[in-house]
Order: sequence, then structure tokens, then C-alpha cells
Amino acid sequence: MPLQAIFGRDAQLATLRRSAFVRGARAAAPALVATSIWGLVTGVAMIKTGLSTGQALAMTLLVYAGSAQMAALPLIAVSAPVWVVVLTAVIVNLRFVIFSATLWSYLGRLPLLRRLVLGYLTADIGLALFMNRYADAPVEQRGSSEQVWYLFGSCSATWLSWQPMSIVGIFLAGYFPAQWGLEFAAILALIAFTVPLVVGRPTLAGCLTAGLVAVLAAALPLKLGLLLAVIAGVAVAMTVDLLGTRTTRRPSA
Amino acid sequence: MMESEAIWLTIAGLTLVTIVTRNLFLALGHRIALPERVQQALRYAPACALVALIVPEVVLQSGTLALDFGNPKLIASITAAAILLLTRRAVPAIALGMLAFTLVRMF
Repeated sequence: MPLQAIFGRDAQLATLRRSAFVRGARAAAPALVATSIWGLVTGVAMIKTGLSTGQALAMTLLVYAGSAQMAALPLIAVSAPVWVVVLTAVIVNLRFVIFSATLWSYLGRLPLLRRLVLGYLTADIGLALFMNRYADAPVEQRGSSEQVWYLFGSCSATWLSWQPMSIVGIFLAGYFPAQWGLEFAAILALIAFTVPLVVGRPTLAGCLTAGLVAVLAAALPLKLGLLLAVIAGVAVAMTVDLLGTRTTRRPSA
Repeated sequence: MMESEAIWLTIAGLTLVTIVTRNLFLALGHRIALPERVQQALRYAPACALVALIVPEVVLQSGTLALDFGNPKLIASITAAAILLLTRRAVPAIALGMLAFTLVRMF
């Protein structure tokens, strides 16, 4: 595909877009080994659960949500009702609603199709990277070409590291022993990109609360513990903020 | 194990879940006026959501709390977080975290 089709015909604009795209992709690079391993492990897990090759391929290409897929597979294995599996995935994926609401102030002025493509591509790592870099961007500067193409770059890189490896996992599932623990690399990558987001006392208090509640409520059905944890965490963060215990750097509104 | 039709239905359902959750606001944002309070809450939500996803994966072992040195995921996560805070670099954090994970699992 000619690069013009991606970055546009205007040479100056194309250079700017391409450099932002490359910066985004480079920022995602440290995570790519982890996401590709996670993709591989998810591919293997789908086949080991008993999905056919076609079903596993459809799932990886259409669903593209590792943690929701991993939450769904054990339920599929025990023949849980379809609505239980879907509802569980809704709750695991609710954070994407939050992410897309967060991204709205940056992407809101783009044409609908671009918004939708970026929305589909933006998973955890892409969002964490983007917020690391642009959470403090002043409102009037949001949605700049640089920001949009940075997000597109980091999310494309993540997608391209996930999908081929997931497909490799689907076809080579038979060669993988069940317990290698490789999927844990994905959690470590998430940790690496989440820690820098925890800046300031309100966020720290919120995150501690969210972690605690997520553990205490982990046994709730439908992954409701995750939802409770986010609600509790945000409530505590806002309370700490309102109490005025402000630190040097706050994420801007 | 589910019937084949049920699996296809599940995949269709999960696809819809991905599309709706990732795009709801991006598609309809201009029609949903978020109150000031909610916008404030959104600043804190991404970090809280990621932490809520990570912590149970690390400290729970088949549903029970494992806050001891025998839990490889806990040791690995502490290692990764420490390296990250010291060096601010993700690659060594992930690599050495994975090394710690493997070592604790072996011994």
C-alpha cells in the first residue's frame, strides 16, 4: 500500500504525521514482546478450550480483547449460558468505555470513521502510553494531528504484535505445554505502563483502593468485582482531591 | 464444552461487546454532554481500572490471597515495579520481572 494512502498527499503534513506515528510505535516497542506473547498464549488457550480453528480465528480478529477472551474461555469450557459469558465480557471491557470517554476530548473532532478505527484499536497499552504523554495537554491543544497519529502509531504496533502471534498460537497450539506461565509477561507489561500513570496523591489513593476492592470482591460472579473496584477507586480519588490534599502535579481536567 | 452454534453466538456477542465498549463515546460523544463531575472522575478512572485488572492477577492464587515470597507473580511484580521506579525503563522491568517469575517458580 502506498504510504500516501495512509499519511495523505500533502508532503509536509505527511512528514509530521509519519513522525508522530513512528514515535507512537516506538513508545509501544517495549511492550510488544509482551503483547505478542500474550497474543500467542491467547491463541493457544482458545484451541485448548476446544474452539475450532475457524472459531478461534474469528474470535481473535473480531473480538481483539485479550482479558475478555481469557475471562470467556473457562466459561465456554463449562458450557455456561451465552448471556453469562457476554455479560462477563461487558464488565471486563467496561474500562474501555471509560477509556473512550477519556479519548473523546482528544479525538472528538475527527471524522466518524477515524474515531471508530482508533476506538477499536485502543486497548490497554495504547491508552496507558497515550495518557502518559498527553494527560496534561491543555484542552485547547487536544486533538492535534501529532496526538492522533501518536495514538494511531502505538495502537497499530500493538495490534500488529498481537494478531499474527495469536494466529501462530491457534495453529501451533498442539506443541505448547499447558503451563509455561508466559501469559504473565502481559501483566508485567501492563504494570510497566500503568505505574507512570499513578501520579499525585488522589490517583495514588484511588489506585490503592481499586486494587484492594478488586481483590476483596474477586469472587463476585460476572467479574463484578472489577466494576466495584473502579467505582470505589474513583470515589476515593475524588474525595482526596476535594479534601485539598493536592500535590505538585495533578492530571489536568 | 458449548455446542458449536453457542460458541459462534458467543463470539458474535463478544465482538459486539468490543465494538460497543470501545466506540460508544467516540461515536456518540457529541450527543452525550458529560457533567463536570463525571469529567473530573474520568481523570482518575483509567489508572484505577488498570490497577483493578492487574492486582487480583498478581496476589490471588486460585482464588486465595497469596502475599508471601512463595508467590512468583508477587515477587516478579515487585521486581518489575522497583526497576521501573529506579530506571524509568519498561524493557528491563518486564525482562527482569519475567526472570524473577521464572526463578521463583523453579525453586
